[in-house]
Amino acid sequence: MDKELEHQFVSNLEMHQNIVHKICRIYTNDQASHNDLFQEITIQLWKAYPKFRGEAKFSTWMYRVALNTAITLYRKKKRSIQTQDYDTVHFRIQAQEYDPQEEQQLKLMYNAVKELNDIDKALVFLYLEDKNYKEISDTLGISEVNARVKMNRVKTKLKKILNP
Amino acid sequence: MDELEFLKKDWKKQDGNYPKLSFEQLYQMILKKSSSIVRWIFIISVLEFVFWTILTLCLADQEYWKEMEKIHLKGFTIALYLVGYVITFYFIFKFYKNYRKITATDSASVLMENILNTRKTVKYYIGYILISTGFTFLVYTYFTFKYHIANMKVKNSSLYEFDLNQWLIFIGAFLVFMLVFLGVIWLFYKLLYGILLNRLHKNYKELKRLEIEN
Repeated sequence: MDKELEHQFVSNLEMHQNIVHKICRIYTNDQASHNDLFQEITIQLWKAYPKFRGEAKFSTWMYRVALNTAITLYRKKKRSIQTQDYDTVHFRIQAQEYDPQEEQQLKLMYNAVKELNDIDKALVFLYLEDKNYKEISDTLGISEVNARVKMNRVKTKLKKILNP
Repeated sequence: MDELEFLKKDWKKQDGNYPKLSFEQLYQMILKKSSSIVRWIFIISVLEFVFWTILTLCLADQEYWKEMEKIHLKGFTIALYLVGYVITFYFIFKFYKNYRKITATDSASVLMENILNTRKTVKYYIGYILISTGFTFLVYTYFTFKYHIANMKVKNSSLYEFDLNQWLIFIGAFLVFMLVFLGVIWLFYKLLYGILLNRLHKNYKELKRLEIEN
């Protein structure tokens, strides 16, 4: 593929790379897996890029390809070492206001999300990213009604995990 | 406050905390090879097509054709090979068509369906190979028994014929052999695709469960 396309793609990706990092954060538990998934998502985005016709925003298109990679295409590698606190250590270090109680509650919340299945994680992720039910249902390929029902169930599940 | 709303507030606050990879680092990434399950499925499926085709070709040497002539099945075998190739080509064509359909720009459920369909084509191909092998094996066994005795020109042919008990033992042994053979192949595929597609099946079921319930 030509250089111009490569350049255009990488520039777009550089600008919107947060989306990929956030998906990696939801779907992985340690830095090495985060990097692996990030790598695979980048390849899949690049492979699918010729099909991106600019009808949607680049970022909207990215959500779909990146989530598809995390849920379906990515082959998880078995790792012996798992950094339990990867999530909190890695992402909370720069938090400015520090409230130990809130901090603890957030840690529990993030851990609870990690316990959900892949589809529920996708729902939570899209919700956290402020996507409406139309976008959620389009991304996952389910009806809007089902997206709503499912989201309510996820909320109940999270409550159960947090208050067993 | 709703738990997810609470989480969302924090999630947004952390937008600036993610690593920032440079243009060069990202550029290096697009040059690497994918290790996605679709790539693996493609490689394994092509190997399967090649393996079974080579196997059927290798078995058919000159000796084999002579033997076929002896038991009056040369014409039948040639026809079988021709039909076999047409069917194999059909499967390869269908596999390729399904494979081309797989794209990460589809919705999650369509993507999963396309992957499963591609996989299914190869599964049916293996099923066809096993059934046709079993069928031809039976035909050949029957004709071998029928004509071998005549070919050997034995004087007392009744000595070489099976009585009912012997037939039963033969059929029993044949069935056991077939079951073990099929069992081994089934186990092999279960393991291979179990490892590769377990997660996909689980996620697909999870997505579809919603559609069925509502």
